[in-house]
Amino acid sequence: MTISMAAITDQLMLKQALSSALEKVINKALELNVNDNSALKTLEAKQLTLLLDELGFPLTFTVSSNQVLVTNLTDSDCTVITSINTLKKLKASQQLTDYIKQDLLDIQGDLKIAQQYLNLAENLEIDWQNELAHYIGDIPTYQLSRVAHFAQTKLHFAKTQIQADLSEWLVHEKKLIVSASELNDFNGQVTQTVARFDKLQQRLEKLTKHINEG
Amino acid sequence: MSSVEQKPQQPNNDNITHFGYKTVDKSEKESMVASVFHSVAKQYDIMNDLMSFGIHRLWKRFTIDASGVRPGNKVLDLAGGTGDLTAKFSKLVGKDGQVILADINSSMLNVGRDKLRDKGLVQNIEYVQANAEYLPFEENTFDIITIAFGLRNVTDKDKALRSMYSVLKPGGRLLVLEFSKPEHELLNKAYDFYSFNILPKMGELVAKDGDSYQYLAESIRMHPDQETLKEMMNNAGFEQTSYHNLTGGVVALHKGYKF
Repeated sequence: MTISMAAITDQLMLKQALSSALEKVINKALELNVNDNSALKTLEAKQLTLLLDELGFPLTFTVSSNQVLVTNLTDSDCTVITSINTLKKLKASQQLTDYIKQDLLDIQGDLKIAQQYLNLAENLEIDWQNELAHYIGDIPTYQLSRVAHFAQTKLHFAKTQIQADLSEWLVHEKKLIVSASELNDFNGQVTQTVARFDKLQQRLEKLTKHINEG
Repeated sequence: MSSVEQKPQQPNNDNITHFGYKTVDKSEKESMVASVFHSVAKQYDIMNDLMSFGIHRLWKRFTIDASGVRPGNKVLDLAGGTGDLTAKFSKLVGKDGQVILADINSSMLNVGRDKLRDKGLVQNIEYVQANAEYLPFEENTFDIITIAFGLRNVTDKDKALRSMYSVLKPGGRLLVLEFSKPEHELLNKAYDFYSFNILPKMGELVAKDGDSYQYLAESIRMHPDQETLKEMMNNAGFEQTSYHNLTGGVVALHKGYKF
């Protein structure tokens, strides 16, 4: 007996577990937002469905009484089809049309609703230090922030260093990847070959024409 | 060892039915079920979370997702109890829609009403004390009817299904979320052990009522399995009936349309 992935997902209700978790995170974020949540009023009862390539099932957002509900309903006012990667890059509303032109995003239904939801997401800003201070106090929060900042700087430095070392190793030690200058040189040679080929083709055409006329 | 008693056969006499594993007169079952729910109403939500390890929330979410509810829809949440489905439906149908929370048991209805009002859900919800066998609504009224963990307590399930069919609009759908028969024997045995040994003890400890939870376990075993319920829905007039097993068939969601 073979059991499909979709059947397992249904049995374990993974979609519903994800929607439930997402709903809690979104509403908590809205609660902690230092900016005004008035955008929620304009979105009241409006539904947006997000179809992410990686998920394979819909996530539908509905605003009701200043809260966001997340379901897996398929029918809504606006459906956005995209990938997580594109979604992460979406910052300003005007980018929507750019991404549509690049085939990275498809919108079916009311574009205005997608823009309003995007504005709502952009408007979210949480003062994490302030929130943390409620639980552990001001001084531990300050110290933790310094440690986090220090760790972030070190991690960034380590990441850059590892990337540089790795590329050195791949190019010079293992010779698995060519260097930028080698690639430029190769590109130059290709361009020259193409130019020579064009000249040769022109001469051949002239010669063929001459033979046909003769 | 599990203390599962022998499951009795379905009664042949039209005037008798089952109350758990007991055979009782049909006229008695309603009041016996009522006393169970009067007894557990106040602890109902906490017991649901404990007994199902919180999974009942996902089963209900699955039901909402399968309902295809739209803003403006009219929904009947039958045997709606403490209003979990009603709360979600109320938000999804919006101010142009309406949700009726109906339950035969006044204690359950009161707990549900208080809970929903505390959540600020007032504008599009109505509360009706009603018997699923004789629904007090006009024909072709609802876009969606749900009955979650309620059908097994109904005395005459066929009559209740016909009543639901009658009040659904053409194009409307019925969703029955109910305990069912686990698909795998091993799971079935583990589930039996849990239901008959642990569940009544939990009921005794938390709700101070072990007997009601013994009835719960027995009533689940007496409830028709997936295929039988599907056939009953077909007989009541529903079309395109189907079911989805959840958590290995411990629970099944049946769906049928009226065209």
